[in-house]
Amino acid sequence: MKKSRADIRKKVFSNSRIIVLILMCIYLTAATNGKFFTYSNFVSIMYSISLTGIMICGATFPVLLGGIDRTVSGNAAVCGAMAATVALYFNQTDIGAILALLCGTACGVLSGFFHGIVLSRFAIPAFLLTLATNEVLYGIVQFITGNQLINVLNCELMNQIGQSRFLGIPIPVYILLISFVGCYILLTHTVYGRQIYAVGGNRQAAELSGIPARRVIIIAYTISGFMGALSGFLLSCMNRQASAAQAQGYENDVLAAIVVGGISLRGGEGTLQGALLGAILIGVMTNGLRLLGIDSIYHNLIKGVIIIIAIAWDMLSAASKSGTTKNPLAGLFTRKKLREG
Amino acid sequence: MRQETLRRIISFALLLVLIVVFSTTTDSFLTPANITTLLRECSVIGILSIGVTITIITGGNDLSCGHLMGTVCMVFAHLYYYTSFSLIAILLISLLAAIAGGLLNGVCVGLLQIPDFVATLSTQFIFTGLTYILAIRNEYGQISAAQINNKTMVALGGQIPGGLYLVTLVFFGMAILGQIFLKRTKHGIYIYAIGANRKSAEYSGISFIRTKILAFVISGVCAFVAAMFTIGRYHSNEVATGQTFALQAISAAVIGGAAFTGGRGDMWGTVSGVLFMQVLRNGMRKYGFTTQTQAVVSGVIIVLMLIFDAYYNEFMQKRSRRAAAAERENKAVNGNG
Amino acid sequence: MDKAILLEMNNIEKIFAHVQALDRVNFQVRRGEVHTLLGENGAGKSTLIKILTGVYPKDGGQIFMEGREVNIASREDAAALGISVIFQELSLIPTLCVYQNIMLGKEFSRFGFVQAKKEKKKIADLIEYYGFSLGVNDIVETLSVAQMQMVEILKALAADAKLIIMDEPTASLSSHESKLLFSIIDQLRERGVSIIYISHRLEEVFKLSDRITILRDGKIAGVVEKNQINPSEIIKMMIGKSVSEATASRMLRQSEEETVLSIQHLCCLGAYEDVSLEVKRGEVLVLTGLVGSGRTELIRAIYGADPYDSGKIELEGKPYQPQIKKAVAEGFGLIPEDRRTQGLSPLLSVTGNVALTNYDKISSKGFVSKAREEELGRHAVRLVDLRPPNPNVLAGNLSGGNQQKVVLGKWLTRNLKVLLIDEPTVGIDIGAKDEIYQIIETLSQNGVAVLMVSSDIAEVLRVAHRIIVMREGKIAKEFHTGIVTQEDILMASSGLDTEGEV
Repeated sequence: MKKSRADIRKKVFSNSRIIVLILMCIYLTAATNGKFFTYSNFVSIMYSISLTGIMICGATFPVLLGGIDRTVSGNAAVCGAMAATVALYFNQTDIGAILALLCGTACGVLSGFFHGIVLSRFAIPAFLLTLATNEVLYGIVQFITGNQLINVLNCELMNQIGQSRFLGIPIPVYILLISFVGCYILLTHTVYGRQIYAVGGNRQAAELSGIPARRVIIIAYTISGFMGALSGFLLSCMNRQASAAQAQGYENDVLAAIVVGGISLRGGEGTLQGALLGAILIGVMTNGLRLLGIDSIYHNLIKGVIIIIAIAWDMLSAASKSGTTKNPLAGLFTRKKLREG
Repeated sequence: MRQETLRRIISFALLLVLIVVFSTTTDSFLTPANITTLLRECSVIGILSIGVTITIITGGNDLSCGHLMGTVCMVFAHLYYYTSFSLIAILLISLLAAIAGGLLNGVCVGLLQIPDFVATLSTQFIFTGLTYILAIRNEYGQISAAQINNKTMVALGGQIPGGLYLVTLVFFGMAILGQIFLKRTKHGIYIYAIGANRKSAEYSGISFIRTKILAFVISGVCAFVAAMFTIGRYHSNEVATGQTFALQAISAAVIGGAAFTGGRGDMWGTVSGVLFMQVLRNGMRKYGFTTQTQAVVSGVIIVLMLIFDAYYNEFMQKRSRRAAAAERENKAVNGNG
Repeated sequence: MDKAILLEMNNIEKIFAHVQALDRVNFQVRRGEVHTLLGENGAGKSTLIKILTGVYPKDGGQIFMEGREVNIASREDAAALGISVIFQELSLIPTLCVYQNIMLGKEFSRFGFVQAKKEKKKIADLIEYYGFSLGVNDIVETLSVAQMQMVEILKALAADAKLIIMDEPTASLSSHESKLLFSIIDQLRERGVSIIYISHRLEEVFKLSDRITILRDGKIAGVVEKNQINPSEIIKMMIGKSVSEATASRMLRQSEEETVLSIQHLCCLGAYEDVSLEVKRGEVLVLTGLVGSGRTELIRAIYGADPYDSGKIELEGKPYQPQIKKAVAEGFGLIPEDRRTQGLSPLLSVTGNVALTNYDKISSKGFVSKAREEELGRHAVRLVDLRPPNPNVLAGNLSGGNQQKVVLGKWLTRNLKVLLIDEPTVGIDIGAKDEIYQIIETLSQNGVAVLMVSSDIAEVLRVAHRIIVMREGKIAKEFHTGIVTQEDILMASSGLDTEGEV
C-alpha cells in the first residue's frame, strides 16, 4: 500500500508538466467555449513558439553542461541584420537569400565558438559573460543596421519561408520540428550527446575517462549560436525586415522555457523534449491568457512566478525521488514532522 | 603581495590611465563642468552597484536591481498621480515596496535556495510586470510618461553649493556607509563569511538565509534611493526606466574587484569601477564615438575584464600553491639538515 | 586517579546499516592530558569523534562532561560544552583577518557595530599568552597552513574550549611546522586544556601522548599510559590477533615478466621527489604510506591528469608522454581516489558510466548503437558482479561498493595494459571489498600491470605482489621478497624503522 502510494507520487512528479498541460488545456477549452480547442488555434500556438523553440533546441546544450547562453537573442539579431543586408546587396534574389542565410548563421557560429572557447577555459560565470557579450552583439547590430529598419520586402525565397504555409502549417513550424528532431537525435543517439550529459553531470569524472570536455563545451555553444542565428534569419523572413532591437528579450523566454521544462541549471539533467514541452506550456498559457482577455501587461508577472514555482517544484520532486531531506526546501516541510516524531 | 591588494592597484591604475589619456588628448575632459556632469551621470548606477556589490560578496548576484528600481519609480509615480497622499507617505510606501522587492529576492535565494541569477532573473519578470501594471495611463488608456514636478523631488536632482550634484554626494555618502557596514559591523563580516566559505560560516552559527535576505534587502534600499534620484533628475518616469542598469551596476562591481566566487570586494573597488565605466563613456563621447560604438567598447571591456579576472585568480592561486610547496620543501631540508 | 576526569563516554554504540561501527566503547579524557585515539582506517575513531561533536547521534551509551551527563545533538551543543574540533580541512574564512575569524559568530558588538579594539586586544593577549607567531590583522589566506592551524586553535581557545580534538593535524605540515605544533600542544596541556589527538604517525603519537586508546573494529583494544608505551606492543594491539594469518603477513614474490611501465626520477615540487619504479606484466605493485606522502599525485601524473616537473616515463620500453586521451587509447585505466567526484557521473545509469570509456567500441561514425551499448552495460555488470544486476540504475543511487564496481567496470571492458588504482575500498563494506580484491587478482592473472595506492595495511597485504612505502614524497622502503608483516609496513611508513627503535 505504502509503496504503491510512493509510486503514484513519483509518477505524478515525473509527469507533472504533461499533467499541468492537459489540465490547462481542459480548463481553457471550457473557459473559452471551445475557442481554444481548435486546429487553427493550435497552429497559431505552434507558430508563436516556433522561434523561441528553435533557440531552445540550441540553448539546451549549454544548460545541460551547467552553463547558459544568453546571447541567443543577440545572435538572432546579428544574423537577422546580416541576412537582411546581404539579401539587399544581392538584389533580393534567391541566391542572395541563401547567401544571407549562410552569412547570418556564420555570425552565430562564430559568436558561439568564441563563448565556447572562453567558457571552457576560464571559470567565468556563463550567464554574466553572455549577458555582456549580448550587449556587444546588439551594439554590432546597430552598426550593421545603422539604427534603421532594413526592409527586405521583395525577396521571394525569404518571403516564402516567412509567410507561406505547407499543408496549412507555417514553414517556421516545420523548421522547428526539423531542428528539434536533429538536436534530439544528436543528444540521444550520438557519442557527442552522451558526452554532453557526462561532462554536465561530472566534468572531472568525464575528463578522467578520456572525454575531451573542452571540445564538448565549445561545440555546445557553437550549436547554440547557430540555432540562435537560424531563428534570427527566420524572424527577418517573417517580418520582411531587420531592426536593431530584433529578438530582444527572447533570451528570457528561452531560459523560462528551459527552466519550466525541468532542465537542471546545475547541468547533466533534463531532456530536450522537456524543454520543448516547457516552451509549449508557456505558449499555451500565453495564448490562453489572451483568449481569456487578460491584459498582456500581466504576462510578465505570471511568467516570473511560474519560473520560481517550476524550480521550487523540481527541488521538491528531486527530494521525493531520492527520499532524502537533504534538500532545504523539502526540509522546510519535513522538519516539523521530524521534531514531532 | 596579497591577491586583493594587487587587484585593487590594478583597478585604480586602470582608472588613472584612462583619466590621464582623456585629459591629455581632449580639452574638454578635465574641466570642472565636465567632472561634475560625469560624477552626476554615474551616481545612480553607482548607488545601485553598492547594493549589487553586497550581494556579490555573499557569493551571489542581483540581476533585478535595475528592474526593481524601475518598479519603485513607478510605485512613486502611481501614488503621486492617483492618490492624494503626502510626499512623506509616498516616499515611505515606495521604500516599503523596495524592501519588499529585496525581501522577495532574498526569500527566493535564501529560503528556496534558487541560484541567485535565476531567482533574480525571474523577479526581473515580476518587477517589470508590476511596473506595467502600475503604469500611468493617459485619457485614452495608453501607457504614458509621468510628469513629476514636485519641488522636493526636483530639488533631489539639483546641485548643492559648490557645484556638485546632490546625487553624487549621496552616492559617495552611501559608499562610505556601505564600507563601514561591511567592515565594521558584525553583519557586514557575516556577509563576507557566507560568501567566502558558507559551510564554516554556518558552523560558526551564521544563518545563510538571514544573511542572503539582508544582502538583498540592502540592494532593495539602494534601488529605492536610486529611484528617487532618477525621478528627481528627469522629473518624469517611464516604464522602461532602469531596465539596462543591472548589467552596468554588476560590471562596475566586477571591474572594481568583487569576485563571483564570493567573499571578495568592497566599496572602494566598486566606486573605482563605477568611475572607470563613466570616465570611459564620457571620454568616448568626447572623441565623438557614436552610442553603438560606446556600447560595443564598454561591452568588450567588461568581457575582457571578466577573462582577465578569471585568468588572474587562476594564476595567483597557482602561484600561492607553488610558493607553499616550495616553502615546505625548503623547511623540510632545513629541518633535516 | 589524581587528575579529575573531564570527559567520560560510556558504552557508546553506533550502528550503520547493520554494521556495528562502535560496540560498547568506553573512553575517558582527563583534564590537561593529551589522549591519542589510535586505530586502523575504519576502526571507529572518526565515528566516535563525530558522536562526541554532535555530527552523528549515538545509538546507545552515555556521555559525561565534568561529571554531568550531557546530550550532544549538534556542533553548537558541543561548542557550548567546550568541545572544539580542528578538522583536516581547515574551516576558516580565507578573506577575513585573524581576529575576525576567531571571533566569527560571537563578536563583541554594540548596536551591531563590532568593537574591533576590544576584540583585537583579547586576541592579541591570547596570542601573547601562548606565544604564537601571528598578527591579529593578518588575512587568513596569506598564512601558512601551520599558522592557519594556530588560528583554529585560538578559535577553540577563545570559545573557552576545555577539550580540543585534533584530527591528523600534521598531515599537511612540514617537519619544522610539526615541531611548532607539538610545542603548542605542550603549552595547552600545561594550561589545563585536554586534547584528543588522532594521527597515524606513530612516532609523534608516542612522543606526545599521555595516554593512548586503541580502537579496533569498533571496540576498545586497550588503553595505555605514558610509561607503558611500547611501539611494537601498540602495533600488535592495533592489528589484533583476530586477523587471520593470511592477511597479517604476506609472502611477496618478484615477477619475471617483462616490464610494462617504468618511471625514472619523477619529480613534482611539493608532492614527490625522485621516484623511480617499474611495474611488470601481471604484477600488483602497491604504493603505501601515510596520507600526504605524494602517492596520489604520482599516479595522477602517470595517467596524465596532473603535470610533473621532471623525470621520464616509459611504456613497454618506449618513451611515453602522459596525456589522458592517449592514456586511454594506450590501455591505461584509472580508478581515482574519490569515486563520487572523480570516478562516477552520478546522474548517469550504470550503462552510461561504463560507456564513458568505451565510445570507440559502441559507436560508429559518431552514432551510438543502443544495442551494443546495452550489451556493454550487461557485460560490465556481469564482469564486476553488480548486485542487483541492473544496468539501468542511476549510479548515484548505488551503495559505495557497487559504485566502485561500476568504476572498475568502466575499465574492465577495455583491453588494459596498466591499471592505476587509488584507495579502492574506502568506505566500502567487507563483502564488497573482498570482491574488489578478487577482481584485481583476476586482472593481474590476465596480465594487466596494476599500480595501486592504499593506506589500508590489511588491504596492502591482501593484494600486493610487491610493496613500496612512500614517506614525504620519497620512496622510503621497498618490500619485494619474503614475508612482510603489518608491523613492518607500519614501522616503515611512520619512520620508526630508520631510527632503530625496534
